[in-house]
Amino acid sequence: MSTLIIGLSLSFLLFLLSAGLTLIFGMLGVINFAHGALYMLGAYVSYQIVQITGSFWLGLLFAPLIVAALGALIEIVALKRVYSRDHIFQLLLTFGLILVIDDATKLIWGFDYKQVPTPEMLTAPVALFGSQIPSYRLFVIAFGALVSLGLFLLLDRSKWGMIIRAASSDADMARTLGIDVNQVRTGVFALGSFLAALGGAITAPLVPIELGMGFSVIIDCFVVVIIGGLGNIRGAIFASLLLGMTRAVGFTYATEWVELLTFALLIGTLMFRPEGLFSYKGRSA
Amino acid sequence: MTRRTVGQTLMAVIIAAMIAIPFFLPGEQWVNLVSLILIWALFAIGFDLVFGVTGMLSFGHAALLGSGGYALTVLTLSYQVGFLPALLAAAVMGALLAFCMGLFALRVSGLFFALLTLALAQMVYILASNKLRALTGGVDGIPGVPRPDLFGINFYDNRNYYAFIVVVFLIGLAVMALLRASPFGRALRAVQANDTRASQLGHNVHALRQSAFVVSGAYAGISGGLLASLMFYISPQMLHWATSGDVMIMTVLGGKGTLLGPILGVAVFELLKEELSQVTQYWYGILGLIFILATIFLRNGIAGLFHGPDDQDQGGAS
Repeated sequence: MSTLIIGLSLSFLLFLLSAGLTLIFGMLGVINFAHGALYMLGAYVSYQIVQITGSFWLGLLFAPLIVAALGALIEIVALKRVYSRDHIFQLLLTFGLILVIDDATKLIWGFDYKQVPTPEMLTAPVALFGSQIPSYRLFVIAFGALVSLGLFLLLDRSKWGMIIRAASSDADMARTLGIDVNQVRTGVFALGSFLAALGGAITAPLVPIELGMGFSVIIDCFVVVIIGGLGNIRGAIFASLLLGMTRAVGFTYATEWVELLTFALLIGTLMFRPEGLFSYKGRSA
Repeated sequence: MTRRTVGQTLMAVIIAAMIAIPFFLPGEQWVNLVSLILIWALFAIGFDLVFGVTGMLSFGHAALLGSGGYALTVLTLSYQVGFLPALLAAAVMGALLAFCMGLFALRVSGLFFALLTLALAQMVYILASNKLRALTGGVDGIPGVPRPDLFGINFYDNRNYYAFIVVVFLIGLAVMALLRASPFGRALRAVQANDTRASQLGHNVHALRQSAFVVSGAYAGISGGLLASLMFYISPQMLHWATSGDVMIMTVLGGKGTLLGPILGVAVFELLKEELSQVTQYWYGILGLIFILATIFLRNGIAGLFHGPDDQDQGGAS
């Protein structure tokens, strides 16, 4: 049972991150290598807020907002300048961002591990189907589900979502219709950064906050988006569940092999469905 | 002379001067620095055959470099193979791993290729740090990688080993220059420019990509072997994603798609690293910032400064 809970919480976390990644790709055509760095930054900023205010909830609220503002700034100052060039240049630029963000983090917070305490009301374990489940894990699942739902409503049902989808599928046409595509791009990058940092802030009580945390998670996200089909948010949710559950089961029964299992999943997908499990279009990104 | 030729000659002169410096200046630090630059430059010109010429961004070259390093180390230390055969084996190992990675990674193209090579290289990194501990020494690495043992020369003297590196580097550079000017090199450029058209002209695009990756793997393998021998040490750090990132930064900084650009890129990278790391421990971040500025403002890298702006993405026979 606890395997299921851990798997689900992991899945939602992966989904928050890969949703942002996939959203940014769909809109900007950019694979954001710095996504993991933004996730890490979310965790550090929320740690800082918890240090100052003592409240986990303020951290969970404000850390993503601060990182989203930073994301918007990055998009305006740097990314905007390379849209007209080959996609590879955008990838290179976001790779450079990793180095800058990593060292800035080192400069501000130093080298040692940071820890965010679990909020008090969520420390007690809950008895569920005969096993003791940490209530914070349940909170992560509920919160992740809520955010995912909100994201779907935003993209699928709201006017903003319609604008984003329009600008993603045909930027020129959207521009002709009077949509300020530049602003939409900035907004989407900020939204992606927000989701990454939200993932970081919500993971903060579960893991030690450290410098390497960004990169290990970005690899998992890449696996998710490749399996799910890049730019495909529905694919991302299935792929997140698949990977999250695989990892949770792996941790329980074959800890040594978890990492390799992840890659086996990736290679298996590519051997049999190179376009991703949930994609109908050919892949020529 | 056109501006292009002047620029190329100038670049060649600068590189020649750099190679000559350690022979004339006393002081170990020059020998060590230029040794490092030449080994990484060999790695970078191999990387650029895939990236700059064929147009595929590989993020898995760390695995190729490391596999060569481990091949040389294990063969010389555990099986008492001579240095030169082991260096050859390092090239074969790099090429073989590139072939295997290509089997998976070449099923996709564009950005997916970058992501997949990265994932595959991470897998090799994890294997080397954990699963293959018996062979690779795990995260502790293997100390005592030997130097060449030829003609009775003492290659444990850094100056003599430097001469060895220069010879290997010049051979590698000459072979690469020939490859790039050959019909094979031109076909690779055609694949980069427009793969559909290239295939309609009768080129086997998949085979061309695979071959470029394999050749690049051989270069990486040799560089890895030389690097392990230079340091007397190898660890999974060589397989870390940052290694793939470094060679990419060097190549872009120097000018992708040009033969001499990446060499200058490596030199600038290593010099900056040397100087910045003495001033601040945050040199990598500053380097990242310089790299970002270079991607935005220096379209064709340092080579672009020499070639002039007329040299968009085609590079010619340079």
